[in-house]
Amino acid sequence: MDIEKAGSRREEEEPIVQKPKLDKGKGKAHVFAPPMNYSRIMEKHKQEKVNMASWKRGVAIFDFVLRLIAAITAMAAAAKMATTEETLPFFTQFLQFSADYTDLPTLSSFVIVNSIVGGYLTLSLPFSIVCIIRPLAVPPRLFLILCDTAMMGLTMMAASASAAIVYLAHNGNSSSNWLPVCQQFGDFCQGTSGAVVASFIAAALLMFLVVLSAFALKRST
Amino acid sequence: MKSGQAEIAETSKGIQKRGLMSRRIAIFEFILRIIAFFNTISSAILMATTNETLPFFTQFIRFHADYNDLPALTFFVVANAVVSGYLILTLPLAFVHIVKNKTENSRILLIILDVAMVGLLASGAASAAAIVYLAHNGNNNTNWFAVCQQFNSFCERISGSLIGSFIAVVLLILLIILSAIAISRRH
Repeated sequence: MDIEKAGSRREEEEPIVQKPKLDKGKGKAHVFAPPMNYSRIMEKHKQEKVNMASWKRGVAIFDFVLRLIAAITAMAAAAKMATTEETLPFFTQFLQFSADYTDLPTLSSFVIVNSIVGGYLTLSLPFSIVCIIRPLAVPPRLFLILCDTAMMGLTMMAASASAAIVYLAHNGNSSSNWLPVCQQFGDFCQGTSGAVVASFIAAALLMFLVVLSAFALKRST
Repeated sequence: MKSGQAEIAETSKGIQKRGLMSRRIAIFEFILRIIAFFNTISSAILMATTNETLPFFTQFIRFHADYNDLPALTFFVVANAVVSGYLILTLPLAFVHIVKNKTENSRILLIILDVAMVGLLASGAASAAAIVYLAHNGNNNTNWFAVCQQFNSFCERISGSLIGSFIAVVLLILLIILSAIAISRRH
């Protein structure tokens, strides 16, 4: 992988190099003879590079904006799930009926994973800014696509596991005698469902970010 | 005499030969795709063929466990079947990548489809894992009873079929990263 410093070295690099052929017996040094359209080739090469840098910079800006939105969405999902709790207004002598995200271990893993993903997306914003500043650089984009893919898998897993649990809480299951909890805890179910939807939106945004980075890694248009 | 003519030598920007590393990456991708295909198809088959009927019954209730009883497990079977079909259909495309030189556009198509399939497979695997965890342990707060204490072999089979699916998720993520590296290489 070559890191290309914009404008520093590449313009002076010649695409066609000519080896001098030293004829030792004759005492003559031969003249470099560049081809006829040498300057035109150089101009076309430079123009292509500038075009590629500009559309890659546009893609990087879009990537930065999407990353910001996904970070906010993931953290909002974690916060919504963590603050959803409901206590029923009646109680018996021994039990008090309350529902919290800690009652179901899947939901607590949802909160943990979504906060990790939100933190990662915030920390990857500087890498995205580096991609805007140096659009032709490959290593930041490659690092971003690697981490983005892993985080996308993780958040998709947490969101769908919680979706399965929330579906069970809404509908229950007659074959295994699991009763739907939502008929008693209405607000709790609504809050958790909203958090799951937000997490799915963050996962979809991460998927789109991966595809965008893959487009921006292309070397030729 | 030839001494009057200048020699023009080509650098790496002249003729772009297919490097050995790119070919190795393409071959590795092909092998990973085959392994992931076997993992998903075995997970789907293992989950779809589980059923257990307990040897006793009362007058009204039938003690029978099947993958159809839990919608998350049904989704798991469908997702694994879809992903295994996708993997077998993209095997020729992966083979073409080994041979052909300019593969950027088809690799981008493959990345897009792979990302979608990772989402589907991860979703199916995780929802089935949540249900299987619940079947193993139950939940005191919601009064959900642990089903595995009665249906032993059913629980073992559905837990075992999850493993292949999770391995396939990891392999698919690795495939995406390898495709991205192959796109960014200079060849």
